[in-house]
Formats: sequence, C-alpha cells, structure tokens
Amino acid sequence: MSQQQSVNQARASIYQLLSSLFAKEVDHQILHELTSAQAMAFWQQLGSEPSFSHDVEMIVAKLQTLTSDKALLELAADYCGLFLVGTKHSASPYASLYLQKQASSDDDQPLLFGEQHQQMSQFLKQSQLQVQSEFPEPADHIAVMLAYVAHICVNQDLAQQCEFVQHNLANWLANFVNKVAEVDQGSFYLPLARLTQSWVESDLQWMQGEL
Amino acid sequence: MNRRDFLKGLVGTSYVVLSGSSVLAPLNALAASGAGASDGWLTTGSHFGAFKMKRKNGVIAEVKPFDSDKYPTDMINGVKGLVYNPSRVRYPMVRLDFLLNGHKSDTTQRGDFRFVRVTWDKALSLFKDSLDEVQTKYGPSGLHAGQTGWRATGQLHSSTSHMQRAVGMHGNFVKKVGDYSTGAGQTILPYILGSTEVYAQGTSWPLILENSKTIILWSNDPYKNLQVGWNAETHESYAYLAQLKDKVAKGEIRVISIDPVVTKTQQYLGCEQLYVNPQTDVALMLGIAHEMVAKNLHDKAFIDGYSLGFDRFLPYLQGETDGIEKTPEWASDITGVSAEIIRDLAKVMTQDRTQMLMGWCIQRQQHGEQPYWMAAVLATMIGQIGLPGGGISYGHHYSSIGVPSSGAAAPGAFPRNLDEGQKPIFDNNDFKGTSSTIPVARWIDAILEPGKTIDANGSKVTYPDIKMMVFSGNNPWNHHQDRNRMKQAFHKLECVVTIDMNWTATCRFSDIVLPACTTFERNDIDVYGSYANRGILAMQKMVGPLFESLSDFEIFTRFARLLGKEKEYTRGLTEREWIANLYNDCKAANAEKFDMPDFDTFWKQGYVHFGEGKPWTRHAAFREDPEINPLGTPSGLIEIFSRKIAQYNYDDCPGHPTWMEKSERCHGGPGSDKFPVWMQSCHPDKRLHSQMCESEAYRESYAVNGREPVYLNPIDAKQRGIQSGDIVRVFNDRGQLLAGAVVSDNFPQGVIRIHEGAWYGPVGEDGSKEGGAEIGALCSYGDPNTLTQDIGTSKLAQACAAYTCLVEFEKYRGKVPQVSAFSGPVEIAL
Repeated sequence: MSQQQSVNQARASIYQLLSSLFAKEVDHQILHELTSAQAMAFWQQLGSEPSFSHDVEMIVAKLQTLTSDKALLELAADYCGLFLVGTKHSASPYASLYLQKQASSDDDQPLLFGEQHQQMSQFLKQSQLQVQSEFPEPADHIAVMLAYVAHICVNQDLAQQCEFVQHNLANWLANFVNKVAEVDQGSFYLPLARLTQSWVESDLQWMQGEL
Repeated sequence: MNRRDFLKGLVGTSYVVLSGSSVLAPLNALAASGAGASDGWLTTGSHFGAFKMKRKNGVIAEVKPFDSDKYPTDMINGVKGLVYNPSRVRYPMVRLDFLLNGHKSDTTQRGDFRFVRVTWDKALSLFKDSLDEVQTKYGPSGLHAGQTGWRATGQLHSSTSHMQRAVGMHGNFVKKVGDYSTGAGQTILPYILGSTEVYAQGTSWPLILENSKTIILWSNDPYKNLQVGWNAETHESYAYLAQLKDKVAKGEIRVISIDPVVTKTQQYLGCEQLYVNPQTDVALMLGIAHEMVAKNLHDKAFIDGYSLGFDRFLPYLQGETDGIEKTPEWASDITGVSAEIIRDLAKVMTQDRTQMLMGWCIQRQQHGEQPYWMAAVLATMIGQIGLPGGGISYGHHYSSIGVPSSGAAAPGAFPRNLDEGQKPIFDNNDFKGTSSTIPVARWIDAILEPGKTIDANGSKVTYPDIKMMVFSGNNPWNHHQDRNRMKQAFHKLECVVTIDMNWTATCRFSDIVLPACTTFERNDIDVYGSYANRGILAMQKMVGPLFESLSDFEIFTRFARLLGKEKEYTRGLTEREWIANLYNDCKAANAEKFDMPDFDTFWKQGYVHFGEGKPWTRHAAFREDPEINPLGTPSGLIEIFSRKIAQYNYDDCPGHPTWMEKSERCHGGPGSDKFPVWMQSCHPDKRLHSQMCESEAYRESYAVNGREPVYLNPIDAKQRGIQSGDIVRVFNDRGQLLAGAVVSDNFPQGVIRIHEGAWYGPVGEDGSKEGGAEIGALCSYGDPNTLTQDIGTSKLAQACAAYTCLVEFEKYRGKVPQVSAFSGPVEIAL
C-alpha cells in the first residue's frame, strides 16, 4: 500500500466511524469497540489535532461513563430525540432539511425523500452502491453521506472527493451542528456533530491544499 | 504538527472500524436494472379525493385528481407533504421512563418526548405485556380501546378494525358510543325523526334545485365541509352548489344563511345572511314558531297526521308553562335578530317550498340536542317533510349526501370484531359493575372520576377505572376538549399505546408509539363518491412503507402472531387475497345489477364506475303513508313531545324542545363579563380535522406567522391593537394559545374562529421551550381545544360541547416561542 493509499484509508476510516455513530444508537458492542485499548490509541491520535481535541475528549469521557444499561438508554434517548423524531427536540439528520428552500416558497417539494435524496441516490448508483435495506432511511441521511465519503476516499481521486464533500456535505454541516447544539442536552452528540464538522472542514482544506 | 504527519500518525493507530455497521451495500442487480417498482401513474384515494399519483425515481412526484372529479380540493396538494414529512413516526418507540419502569413509570413526564427506539418485536411484546398486566390486575374495565375516529380510507387497512380485532383477541375492553362530530344530533334525532339523520342519505340535490324556493342554511357551510369525505371523495355536490349559485343570481331560489359569521358558502353563493347571536338558535326558532302560530301559518293537517305532541309543546311556546311567551320580541332580546325579521322569516318559510339544511356545529354546544329538535319541529310546522325540496336535512354538507346514490353494493371491510366462535385469551366480561360502553366524549371524566355514575340517554353509566388506552389512527389530543384536564387524566394512566403515521400530540403523550404507514404505502380498496357510492377504487401502493412503518394489517398480524392467533386473525389470507375477496364479494352482491370485471382487470384499470343514480326524496314514503312506512320513533310519527325523553326527567333535556341558558355565552350571557368573546372551533377549511395539519408546505399556504389563523372582527382587533399577521394570545381560565391574526369583516364583534385540527404544540407558560408537559402550558401553534370546555351537552347525549366556550385575546408581547407542534429543523421566520 502506498503512503497515499494508507492516508486515504485512514481518512476513510474516520468518515466510516462518524457514519456509524450517526447511523444508530451506541449499544454494548459498539461501546466495547469504542473503548478498547486500540480505540483509545486511535482517539488519542485523533485528539492530538488541536481543533479536534476538545470534542474527542468529551466523547471519550462520555463513553467512559456508559457503565450501565440505564446510561446507554439515556444516550439512546438523546439519539432518538435528536435524530429519530421530528419534534422540537430534533435535529433531523437529513441534508434536505438544511438545504431546501423555505417551506413557504411556492413549490411543494416534500421535506424528506426530496431533491437531495435523489441526488445522493444517483451518486450511490454511479458508484455501484445503495443504502442497506436494514437502514430504511433517505439517501441524504448524514450517515449515508459520511459512509459514501469513506467509500470514495479509497475509490476516487482527490479532486472528485473534494468536489463531493464541498458541494454535498460541508455546505450544510454548520446548520446541522447549530441545530444539535440548540436541542441536545447531553454531552455526546453535540461533540460528535462538532467533531464531524471540524473533521470535514479540515479534510476539505487538506484536499484543497493537495490539489 | 502538519496535516500529513497527523494523518500518517493515524495510519499508525489501529483505527476503529465498528463491526458490521456500514449503511451502504453493493448495488443489487434489481436496483441496478431499474426494475422493481416502476415509475408511472397509479390510482389511489383518500378522504381528500380520489386521485392519480405519478411515481418517479421511486418517490411520489405528482398528484392529479381523478378524471371524474371536476371539483377537486386543493388539499390534494398537501398529500406529498403528509408522506414525506419530518414528523413521520419512523420506528417503533417507547418512552424511556416507561421502558425502565413499566406501569410504575413517572407519568408526569408524558409529553416530554423522551423516547428510545426499539425493534418491532420488542415494541409488540411490551404492548402485549401491558395488556396482560391490565387484564390480570384490573380486568377488561381497565382497558379502553374504543376511542376511534377518522382513520385513513381503505376497507382493508382500516386502523380501527385492525386494532379492535387484534386487541379483542387478547381480551375485552371499554368502548365508546357516539362520536365527537354529531354526538348530540345522533342521540336526539332517533327519538324525534326515527334515525340519526346526520348519517342518512338526504333528498337529492336535483330535486332541491328544481323545487325549493327558499333554502335555509342553518349554521351550515357545505362549500367548506364537502371538500372531504368519509370515503374517497369525488366532490359531485359542488356541481349542484354551482347550479344553486346560478339560481340565487337569477332570483329563482332564495338562500338564507343563518349564522353569526359570513360563511364560505355564503360568499360562494352570493346569498343572504341572517346574523344570530352565538348559541341562541333555539330562541330564534321558538320566536319563528310563535309567529307561525300567531299568524296561523303552520300546517295543522300535517302536524295532526304526521306528528305527536304539538299540544304538549304549544303551552310552553305560549308561555303557559313557564310564564314566558316565546314571542319574536322575547327572541329578539336573546338572539340579536329584530322581531320584524323573525316575523318575516316565519312568513318566508311557510309561504312556499322551503328546504332546511342544518349544519352540525350548533349541536356541539351545551344543550346541543335542542336546536336539532326544535328545527325538526319547525320543519313539521311548515309541513313539507317528505316533499321534494322541502323538509329538513342534517347532512347535506357531509360526504356527498344529497348526490343521488348509484344503488350499488359497496365492498365490505376487514372485520372489526372476532369471528363467531373465536374467544379472547382473557375471556373475562367482568367489568366490576362499571359500564363497558361510555359516551365517546366522557372518557376523560371516567379516568378522573372512576366509579362515578352519570345519566346518559335514559340509562345510568358508571365510569370504569381505566388504566390503559390504545389509540390507532385517531388523535384525541386534537378532538377532545381542555388539554390541561387531559394532562391530569393522563397522569393517572399506567400505559398508553398509539399507532399512527406522524407524531401527533396523542403519540407524544403515549408510552408506546408504533409507526403505521400512510395510505399510499399499501394496497387497498375503497368506494369513491362517499354516500353516492359512485364506484370502486383500487388504492394502489405508491411507495414504501417508509422507514420501519408497516401497514395496519401487517402490524396486527404480527401482534396476533405473538398471541398465537395469526391464522384466526387473518383467516389465513394475505393482503392481496383480502382485497381480491372484498372485491369479489362485492361483485357477487352486485351481480346482474352492475357489471363488474374480474379482479385483475379491475386492479389494472384502477376503478369500476357504477354510473349515475336516481333522484330521491327523504321521508317521501313516510309522507305517502305513515302507517305503512312509519318512522323509527316510538310512535312511528315525528315526536314534537317525546314521552320517552320526558320520562328520563332530565333538567337539561325535557320532553319538548326548550330554550336553556348556557354555562358560558357571549353577547351578555353568563361569563361574558370576564371573557367576552365566543370562540368557534368549526371543522377546518384546509384539513380533515387534524389530518393534513402536519403537511408543511401546504400548511404554510394558510398559516399566519407560522401559527394557526385566528379570525377576528376589525373593531375587536382595533380595540386590542391587533393587526393581521400579529401573534395573538387567546386565553381563558382553562388554557392559553398563540395564533396568527386574520382581521376580517366576515366575523362579527365578540366572535372569533380558530379551526379545530390545529396540532397541539405546548411550550412552557412563558413561551420557553421546556414545560410543554406541564399543566398551564402555552400552545405555540393554536389548538383551540386548549381552551374549550369539557362538559357533556346534556344528560341525554353527554356529547362534545366544544362550542360553549368563552375567551379573551390580546396582542402577544411575550417571548415568541418556536412552533413545537411539528418538526424542528425548519425555522419559522418571526
């Protein structure tokens, strides 16, 4: 594996990890994997970057408090309130909700499964991919987009990656993070969302520098 | 450290790759080829209409009305927004504290939205466990699974039938009698005219148009309400309203809208309005009746031949029994209508063919039985009941009533009850001396005061001690009155289960929430044309089911499987087989009368058309020969005096129609010194009750400042410094809400309107985001039932009396909360 390939693999793994954490609640298995010795070494390296360190520390600290079923359920309730119910407590994880024109505009574009979902479905199709049937969500779900970037990190050239991230992900993450900050009472998903935003921003910068 | 070094460092760590967790998979061959659900136009329908939908790239792209629907409602533009809505219930959910503590959970947290996702298996087993616990500990009186309502259309997937059949296979439960729409009317009219009348086919519009010279629209707005129907609506009534408009313009028919407000129908027809003070219609009717007698205008032969008890009513009318003669002057003081106009009305209504068309609103008030009864008395005095274009109707604003019926048999439905011989697991009918059926609107009373005995329709009802509620396709946190009282009641419930497609307020106040898919995510069959029964519609699945939602059939088949009763439940038939069977049974019933193709042809074609029907006159047979064709009343005649009701000895519903003062009434009535304004909460113009409120883009077409509109009189608004577009706080001692002001001359002073069906979105009393679960919360969107009174109409019907409601309003100057009734992410500009 060339050095470039290894670097892309590392980037892919971070996108994949972030995707997984937005895709579903933290369960015992995930908790175990996230707190293994290997994982701790990874978190430490990730946190060595100053712009990530604060959020990584918060995430790791939170993971260490998840010592009971009740604690996991409380975190699952945070997840549910943020991402699974369309209520005042939600920061629904769909690009369409942050990119689409205001609902008051004259077109009657639906809010879910709209333009962004169609676009993303096309991207996936072009890459011979589709959303897992066990993940019955629109294709513009943040977990799908992050997983897709993980895929293209090792399958497409930097220019293509850069183009995708810039125009499909980086353009709404700040709004998403603001919404998470507004409604999240906990200390896991806000740092996770912020970490995602700063990771994507720094990765985009790096890609642009490399090009 | 530069970026490359940092990345290299990461390579050095064994970075975390969570096992088995990618949300992506290789494109499968089917999807790659573009096969599977193909794009194109399909047929389906809903309460809002029969229509066609275009599927493109696997999503619903376009909706257009059914070819034969010439007057479609623009509500079909909201359908996509219902399906692709951020408020969708996407997964089975359980309230966290309920998951942790079960029936001992902290119920004051209900409404706080602290849920966790669970699997279907887990959710259904929790549901079953709760039923087990309630049946074991309390028996059937502990479970109420009878609050049912408008559901979605479709004869197979009807949510009420599935829930009640499946829960019924587990055990027995408390049920309701009546409904919120017509509770008083459907209870009183069988005593008076022998049927509910409200849900009966009425005289055909062509006969009305041909014969009527005067049409009285009494508290009736058909142009607004006919947009939606119980089955797939095809809006044929509108063609007749168009003809009526024409006749009004030509002076051929005089239409008088007796109503405090200028209705949508009045505006459309260009007809007259007779303003009447809210809730005083009975006094107006008595004044008219008095004048008819005084001037000898009433049809004594008809009264003698077709009715009973006029002689018992007359002394009351003339003041011999209570010392108050119900003269036009007496009525004028109460109603705000001049004695002169009342006298003129008596003349107008008796001089030529007069059709009375009653709306439902005036029976949704305290003593709501009386205006319906008294209207029937007036119609009897006019003497035209049973003549084409004369008499009285209580339903021409509803579900194509008045459109000539095809006469064809409609398809049956999935059964609501257990099949003969089937028994529930908990085969226990011991309701511990309490009632197994309670009046529909009294369930909150029952929860709050179990064991209390009340009068209801000639019987005694003893409230069961309800510990658990199950709702499916029904949103009582819309249609019931007084949210703060509901919260108190819900604190007493151990378990609440709701099955719905979007996060209604009822879902939010539940413990277990199960996602049902929408009508457009399953196959089904329905009548189109509602009461006209114009044909049969194939409801072809468009997409989905989205997320983890399931059809009602699938949800309760799984539940029945958990009970070991799957075969009993489904009768061993699949969804497709059920639909085909319902169709084939219907085909057999229509054999030799209506030509129906085989099922596959029907399904491909999308519909079967039964053709036009023949005009028909209500009560014509009775008029022809009342002995051979008696009414369903005790005497077989119209009962102006009801001996049966008189024997009940109710102070609030005596033996003949009576004017009684209300607990709250504007224009100088009780309570108006403190809260001077009457709030009417009639059926919405842009929704079906609460259905469609969540459809975002469509809601924005009528919402004001993101809130439900409150319609205000210009002088009332000016006195309070309010202009259109302002946010208004409406309040009384029961609650408070925010709504968006629409100042309009259509509304008289002292009257405001907020359409029911506005989703409840409680926030803290001071407008802060938290505190929605608390008593006293502020509704951020504008649900009028935050303010309405939770009392029965009378001891007879014990029905919903939401229209007896006084309020005050002011320009809102507090911190303006974001609307919390729907989804979060779309910011509302303030």
